[in-house]
Amino acid sequence: MIITKSFVYEPGEHEAEKASNSYLMSLIALIAGLPLPIVNLFATLFFYIGNRKGSFFVRWHCTQALLSQLSMLIMNSFGFWWTISIIFTEETLSNRFIAYIITVFLFNLTEFIATIYTAINTRKGLHVEWWFYGNLTNLICKD
Amino acid sequence: MKKLVFQGLLTITLFFTILFVLNQIDWMRILKAEQVSQTVDKKLGELYWELFSESEEEIENISITSAIDSILTEICNSNYIDKNKIKLHILENNEINAFALPDGHIVIYSGLILASESEAEFCGVLCHEIAHIELNHVMKKLIKEVGLSTLLSMTTGSNGVEILNESAKLLSSNAYDRKLEREADAEAVNFLIKSKIDPESFATFLFRLKNNSKEGNIMELAWINTHPNIEERVNNIIKQRDSFAASNKPILSNETWMNIKVLLENDH
Repeated sequence: MIITKSFVYEPGEHEAEKASNSYLMSLIALIAGLPLPIVNLFATLFFYIGNRKGSFFVRWHCTQALLSQLSMLIMNSFGFWWTISIIFTEETLSNRFIAYIITVFLFNLTEFIATIYTAINTRKGLHVEWWFYGNLTNLICKD
Repeated sequence: MKKLVFQGLLTITLFFTILFVLNQIDWMRILKAEQVSQTVDKKLGELYWELFSESEEEIENISITSAIDSILTEICNSNYIDKNKIKLHILENNEINAFALPDGHIVIYSGLILASESEAEFCGVLCHEIAHIELNHVMKKLIKEVGLSTLLSMTTGSNGVEILNESAKLLSSNAYDRKLEREADAEAVNFLIKSKIDPESFATFLFRLKNNSKEGNIMELAWINTHPNIEERVNNIIKQRDSFAASNKPILSNETWMNIKVLLENDH
């Protein structure tokens, strides 16, 4: 799921800190923005915009963090509005809803653990590529 | 690129596989969600019924209640509905009105029985209210209008009498939204057909009350006033009725039905 690879160059201390912050940004915003799923996406997006002219290593990790947030946004938004409709409309609690929420929770938890792991390793200057998102970032983010 | 597409598809497949597997589990039973919802339903039913029974007099004349109970039993038996979950109450009130409360309580005003020219007309309204209960419309309406948190706090007694009164008014004098009314009508027609009662009488009843309200002949037309789009509903009932071979087999004898009306007239 997560592979630590060698990057095209050895990132400096400052770069490693910034790259690591892109992941921390989504984590902090996730805690602050609960239950609104869009807050963490915005936080990561602003961090990405702020660093789009940064070094390749920083840009690469900002992009990976942003892409992972995008797919979580779709998943979480659906769950969020489904919950709202149960509370405020005639929609009722069902097995299907509970199954969806547990699935989304499992994916969120996996992403949460992966984010912490990546933030720690990126801070050490290691290059961590995620399953799917790593390849997608390689496609989008060019030196 | 191929690897990327493969990984993407595999992630999506993993998501839907987990969702599919988790969907096979009866979470509502494990988490006792239905039990909680039934407790809330029961408590709310008691609260609302208490409110109505305090302000109106319940008719306890055994000749009337047993005859109406026979009608309810026949409709429930013909439609495989658990009769024990429906608590029918007849209240002395001139208003032509009937409404459903949580936990299967149905309140019928004596004015409605008196305004029904035949047993079949009364059965139409009764089936419509049973349909609201069977389709869980009562709780849906309350959650939508009052909110789940308010309802839950009402059951624990932490909410004022004012909200209880307001929401009781909502149940007795406000229609459900168009979609729910249409669903209840369609289900009522099914109930009537299975009970061998011609749904045309239900349509006639609605139409007659609508005309009477236009002419101002009847003053207390709560049920018709709170159920708009009568023409559309009558047409839908007739259309649905025509697609079945409707028959009409009265549950009570004509004499018993007339006797109920005489007893109710005398009670007034």
